[in-house]
Parts: sequence; structure tokens; C-alpha cells
Amino acid sequence: MHAATVFLDGANAVLILMLVALGLAIVFGLMNVINLAHGEFLMLGAYVVLAAGQAGLPFWAGVLLAPVAVGAVGLLAEEVVIRHTYSRLLDTILATWGLSMVLRQAVAILYGPGSYSVAAPDLGAVMLAGSPYPVYRLVVMAISLSAIAGTFALFFRTRFGLAARAVIANRGMASCLGIDTRRLDRWTFSVGAGLAGLAGATVSPLIAIDPQAGLGWLVPAFLAILVGGLGSIAGPLAGAAGVGGLDSLTAAVASPVWAQLVVFVAAILVIRLRPAGLLARRRRES
Amino acid sequence: MIPPRTVDRVALLALLGFLGLPLVAAPWLIGDLAIYFAYGLLAVALAFVWGHCGLLSLGHAVFFGIGAYAMGVLTLGMLPGLEAVRSTWLGLVLAVALAWAAAWLVGWFTFAGRGLHGAFFGIVTLALAVVFERLATNWDWLGGLNGLMNVPPVTLGLNGGGTELWEPLPLYYVMLAVLAAVVAGLTAYQRSDGGLALAAIRENEPRARALGYDTGALKRRAFALSGAAAGLAGALFVVQFGFASPTLIGFALSAEALIWVALGGRGELIAAAFGVIALRLLESQVSSRLEAWWPLVLGLIFMVVVVLLPRGVFGELLHRIARRRGR
Repeated sequence: MHAATVFLDGANAVLILMLVALGLAIVFGLMNVINLAHGEFLMLGAYVVLAAGQAGLPFWAGVLLAPVAVGAVGLLAEEVVIRHTYSRLLDTILATWGLSMVLRQAVAILYGPGSYSVAAPDLGAVMLAGSPYPVYRLVVMAISLSAIAGTFALFFRTRFGLAARAVIANRGMASCLGIDTRRLDRWTFSVGAGLAGLAGATVSPLIAIDPQAGLGWLVPAFLAILVGGLGSIAGPLAGAAGVGGLDSLTAAVASPVWAQLVVFVAAILVIRLRPAGLLARRRRES
Repeated sequence: MIPPRTVDRVALLALLGFLGLPLVAAPWLIGDLAIYFAYGLLAVALAFVWGHCGLLSLGHAVFFGIGAYAMGVLTLGMLPGLEAVRSTWLGLVLAVALAWAAAWLVGWFTFAGRGLHGAFFGIVTLALAVVFERLATNWDWLGGLNGLMNVPPVTLGLNGGGTELWEPLPLYYVMLAVLAAVVAGLTAYQRSDGGLALAAIRENEPRARALGYDTGALKRRAFALSGAAAGLAGALFVVQFGFASPTLIGFALSAEALIWVALGGRGELIAAAFGVIALRLLESQVSSRLEAWWPLVLGLIFMVVVVLLPRGVFGELLHRIARRRGR
């Protein structure tokens, strides 16, 4: 395979993983909720695109609809289940695992356990460094980048973001200063779910859409945020770059099976040796 | 904390009930229960590290799977140079020893020095489960995706031959005896000084360390002990099931075990064992009728229990019994 293609495919994987890890990290860092249903939110996003296509809507309508619909599911899940486990960190693992089972099976009942595929809009291909490259994949990268930029803007340029960062720093104090943490939690969880939904929608033409589609993303995304370090928004992005980059590189050099083993083992080593994450030192200085 | 006396009495009553059960129950139920007891061993092992030591392992099936594969490899005569060795007894020893060693290594790696805590430990064990599943799937010697087939049943002879144990009734009593012995042994350990120190670590690790306990070594020992119990469970599962596949070692069974223990009750070993037995019985009764709806219902039950009954169904029941007796 051409080196430029390998590089672009790697960048693709990294940017998608960044989007997934970002949603997971916001929920983990802000709310102290370990969301094992995050992969299922991604899976739901892909199914929204599928359903929109079946309803006769254009592909891009499905992509726009997915974050809204999945965000609504997240809002509902937060209200009904997640908020009851806030004070018990490890129980959030269990509650969200139950949620993920329910979501997987609900989709399996609605759409059957088999896999679907949606066609990417035909945008043609461009010549890059002498080999053709599908434009849709470049669009995927652009969507990921703008969603990441948008999330940064949300957290560093709005009052919502200011309040959210105050809650990350000191929840009790933020609450004393009149920040409605209850409302903030609700919307944070919804934003996290919506990001996963958007990621699922954008990758939907590139994957087989089945009820298990989200599971494979969960562990890499978790490893990415732990490798990069919690507490800052740049940490998970760096972690995703490391995890996704190493994965693509090993997959290109050896095989996808080896890639997963190498990435997981390397990530476990990093997490063990630097539990605060690779970016921890820089954060402390700032 | 539930008073030991209540737990002991309930456990004794349950044991008597299970001893007498074959007199009234159908043979198929006895055969099923013998397998559920193997799952029960895994649940007890997980409840010990999670409920008592506060170490939430999201990959405990790794040790179950190691036990199952070790037993299969040995009794199928697949060990290079040792093809003639087919003893069930040696298989048990190998399964427990390998699972113990693997758990010890994981414990050493994760707890030494500053160590990993809580959710970080959970996610690392989750990743390990995926790694082990991948390894088993891609290792041709272990049968790859198909796993090891035709694992022989328990043979009482020193090296393979002798009486085969495959009828439900003897298997049932053997499994019940093993489960009861493991629960009794781990309970005794929980109530010993070492066990008390582990409970102290669960409640407040820095304080336990400040009091002079080598918390890393204690946690490692407890985790290895639990791994050994899970390995025993895997070995005793595979001799009944006859088939070791990568699904036994990976994330799916680990998550299932987590559900059993959370539903039954992580705080007491017998609650966890009751949890898996009850859940499996329920599943065998209703899953054929509910079909695809069963996993959905199970997920809903699971969420409800996690939110409303953090002690688990049987843990809550034991707690209520103890409170009534206390009054």
C-alpha cells in the first residue's frame, strides 16, 4: 500500500478515536462516570444514519440527526439511571454496562442481529501523492476536526464551559457559587453521548453496522483517555493520537491482530508507569 | 456488615438443602446445577476480590479461562514431551497453579509501588481480558477460534484411566463439596487477621499503609488466591462441558460474572454464589420463552438492582434477616 494512503488512513482512525475518546473523557472527567455504554452510543449513531436512509432522507440528514438523537437518548439515560449512581464511582461501571446491554439488545430486536451497511455519498476520489484517495474519508477527517474544535470552543469560550471547568476543578465549591451542577451533569452526559453518536454516524459507511459495532471502540477509547491523562481536554486527544497512531502503524507493518495486542499492551504499560497520564506534568505547570 | 453467625447459618441451611435436593429434583436439573456450581466458584472468587478487597476486576474470566485451557491441554495429552500424562489430578494442579501465577503476576504488575486503583485497575483488567481473548483466538496450539474440543471428563485413576465421572449425581456432589469448601476456606481467610487487613485496605488504603501494612503484598496475595479459585472453577467447568473456547477467557464471560456477583451480592461470598445459581436457573426457565427479549430484561433487572439494591438481591436479603435477628 502507498505510504500516503497508510498515513491518511491512520489519520482517519486517529481523528475518529479522538472524537469517541473526547466524549468519554468529558463524562469521566466532569461527572466521574465511567460510561461503558459509550460504544453503544456510537453504534446508535450509525443506526440513526441507517434509519434515516430507510426513511428516504439523504445521508447528510442522517449525520446531522445522529448527534441530536443519540444526545436525547443520553439525556434520558442520565435522568432515569445514571444520576442515581453518581456518588458510587464503581457502580457507574455496572449501571452503564446494564445500559449498554439494553441498548444492544433493543437494537437487535428492532433491526435483527445481522449487519447492515450504508453507502457513503459518492464524492469521488482525489489524487494525493500519486494515489487516489476517497474524498469521503477526507470529509470524515474534516467533520472530526470541526467537532473537536467545537467541543474546545464550548468548553473554553462559553459560560457553560466555564461552569463545567469549575465543576471539574472543585465540584463542591462550584455548587456553592451557584452553579446548577445537576443541570450541568445532565447536559454534559448528553454532549458526551452526542459526540459518540456523531462519530458513529460519520464512520457508518466505513463499518459493518450491527448491534456489536460499538464494543470494539470502547476499550481503545478508555485506554486513550487513561494514557493521555484525565483532567485536561488535551490529554485524551494526545492519548487517542498515541493509541490510534500506534494501532494504524502496527496494522500496516504487521497485521491488525498484532496491532491490537501491541497497542493494548503498550497502553497498559504506560497507564501503569504513569497513572496520571502522559500529559500530567504539563498540566501541573499550567 | 452482616454478623458472621447469620451468614454461617444461612450457608449451612443452604448446604443441607442442596445435599437433599437430588432426592426430589429431576436428573437434568442436578446435571445443570453441577455446571452452575462451577460458575458459582468463579462468582465467589470475584466476590472475594471485589466485595472484600475492593478490587473491581473486569477481567476475571482470564483466570477461569486459563484454568479451563490448562485442564484441557493436559488431559488431552497436548503438552510437548508429556503426551503420556493425562491425569485429571495433575490437570487440576496445573490449572490452579497457572491461574494463581497469572493472577500473582497481574497483581504484582498493578499493585507494586504506587499502584493502580479503582477504575484504573478495572480498565486495565478489562484490556487484559481482551488481550487474552485475542491470544487464545490466534494461538493455533490452543485450537484457535474453535478452542479445545472433546476434553475428557474427570477420571479418578492416577494417570487418566480408572472410573470416569460423568453422571450427574456424583458430579453434583463433587461440585457441591468443592464449592462449599472454597466458600468455607475463603470465608475463614476473610475473618482471619490477614482478611481483616484486606478489609481495612478496602475501606482506606493510605490509612492501612500508615498502620504498617504492606498493602501491595496483601492485595497481590488476595488477588492470586482469587485467581487460583477462578482457575479451579475453569478446570472443573471444562471437564463437565468438554469444550474450552476463547469465549471462556475473554470479556464476555468476565462481564457476565460481574453481573452475577452484582445481582447476588458482592459483600458476601454465599450471596454471590446464590446469585449465579438463581440467575442461571431463571435463565434456563425463561430465556427460551422470552427469546431475544431475555438479554434486554436481564440488562433492565441489572440496572434496577445496581441503582436500588447496591448490596445485591441475596446480600440485601441476608442483611434484612440479620437485622430482624438483631432486634
